[in-house]
Amino acid sequence: MNAIEFENITKIYAGPGGEVRALDDLTFSVEHGEFVVVHGPSGSGKSNLLLTAGCMIHPTEGRVLIHGTDVYAMTERERAGFRAENIGFVFQMFHLVPYLNIIDNVLLAVGTESKRARRTKALEFLKRFSLSDRSLHRPSELSTGERQRTAVARALLNEPTILLADEPTGNLDPDNSATVMGYLSEFHSNGGTVVVVTHERSAAEHADRVVNLERGRIESGA
Amino acid sequence: MATFRLIIKEITYRKLNFLLGLLAVAAAVALFVSVLTMGQASEREARQLMRDMGFNLRIIPKGADMEDFWATDFADHEMPEEYARRLGSEPGLAVNHLVATLQKKARWRDRQILLTGISPEIVPPGKPKSPMSFTIEKGTVYLGFEVARGLGINKGDEIDLFGKQFTVEKCLAESGSKDDIRVYGDLHDVQGVLGMEGKINEIKALHCVCDGGAIGTLREKLVRALPDTQVTEFRSIAIARAETRQMVEKYMAFIMPIVMLVCAAWVAVLAMMNVRERRREIGILRALGHGSARIASLFLGKAVVVGVLGAAGGFVAGTGIAVNWGPGIFKVTSQMITPLYGFLGWSLVVAPLFVALASFLPTMMAVTQDPAVTLTKE
Repeated sequence: MNAIEFENITKIYAGPGGEVRALDDLTFSVEHGEFVVVHGPSGSGKSNLLLTAGCMIHPTEGRVLIHGTDVYAMTERERAGFRAENIGFVFQMFHLVPYLNIIDNVLLAVGTESKRARRTKALEFLKRFSLSDRSLHRPSELSTGERQRTAVARALLNEPTILLADEPTGNLDPDNSATVMGYLSEFHSNGGTVVVVTHERSAAEHADRVVNLERGRIESGA
Repeated sequence: MATFRLIIKEITYRKLNFLLGLLAVAAAVALFVSVLTMGQASEREARQLMRDMGFNLRIIPKGADMEDFWATDFADHEMPEEYARRLGSEPGLAVNHLVATLQKKARWRDRQILLTGISPEIVPPGKPKSPMSFTIEKGTVYLGFEVARGLGINKGDEIDLFGKQFTVEKCLAESGSKDDIRVYGDLHDVQGVLGMEGKINEIKALHCVCDGGAIGTLREKLVRALPDTQVTEFRSIAIARAETRQMVEKYMAFIMPIVMLVCAAWVAVLAMMNVRERRREIGILRALGHGSARIASLFLGKAVVVGVLGAAGGFVAGTGIAVNWGPGIFKVTSQMITPLYGFLGWSLVVAPLFVALASFLPTMMAVTQDPAVTLTKE
């Protein structure tokens, strides 16, 4: 059983100039413990691929199986629970809640453990990511690198089996990019499955496999 | 994190946004409460002013000569005083403020006077009203302007009226009418002076067109209740009363729905804009595994906080406006312009409900979309 399986996935949007096929009959899979980097030009469907894998956007056609489960056959409530339990997501724009401090942002991810256990774990993550002294700061008071590290800590809090990252280093300087990619590699080396969508060719250094996407189809690496 | 704590954190972070929302609800509620309070005051004022125009119905003995009646302003026939009480207890009659009177022309101290006995107002059962005319205590009299001035009588003087002693309770101001030569006394006192115990020659009353239809209908009812009487109406007063009252009621019926709609639309637009501004947050929370109910409670909870605080503030402001400026506009009933606490309850229920309802639609639209759609729309 693969960690992620895309079966004939098509995603169509209605645009002013007619239909736009963001994903076009795409089939491929990601094995457990694999680190996959997805490359492709803007508009190639990279983000759609990732969001579909992250149970965050319904495909127009096809099935997405996560650990063998057809996630879009679930109810919204079931899917939200499944997502919280199995998938960590890192966004390019960080998507931190502006009115919560860093520790509260990390704790915002829905989990099943006790409050105290989660808080202890969140503090450990902040320490590991050199954010201990920033735990009571709001996102607006942090550098971009610190914000992205917070987003990674939030994605990892529930110890997911799959980590999906959409341009995680897109807004970071080289040092912070290396740090964030290092965290993803560490997660991978501990047995986690990682899919990273990025423009940056250097990300391929961490990957087991590189997939190239063009106009919603896989050009190579399937 | 608990929903309430999240709400408070968001409020303290976006203070200005929260204050503007609060201000909008408070302004809408204040506008509503002040217009409603002033509207009630306006209705009350109009009613009072119309009532102050005096009685509009005169019931006199059937045998009275109408030419004499209009020439002298009182009937030359009498009827039993008991008629007034009978009329007061007659069900289904649209008359209020019944006063039995006995009026006779007389000469006193070489002056012509109109001796007028007035009974206390008879209140029909189930129609408690504040008295419209003055009540004269037994053993006292009120003197018309000309009588008092011509005879040099002052308030507090003791006078002899056809062999009986009375205290002058009041010397009335000049009215420019027959009232200036009247000597008013308690009905029973005047009946005693004139030797006409149990007799009256007129019942004055206030007929309200709005309560019971036109004068024709009333006449039929009165004739059935008191067969040996006839009724005349001061049409101008009756019509002015009815028209003024209807005008005020129509105005309020027109203005209130507009005020309500404007306030409702205002609050709704602000509530919807607030949720739209926070769509990305909805996407983040959903991406992190939060369910629709939890997210909806977050937004609706804030709507309730804004609604309750805004309603309370708006009630205080609206009432303050009405209580401070109302008396300057409605001078006759100024004492009656007081806070209408019933509106507070309504405001505290309706405003939060409405803000929540206005927030509910965009919230539900956002939570039912895929999280990615909400996030990527930002």
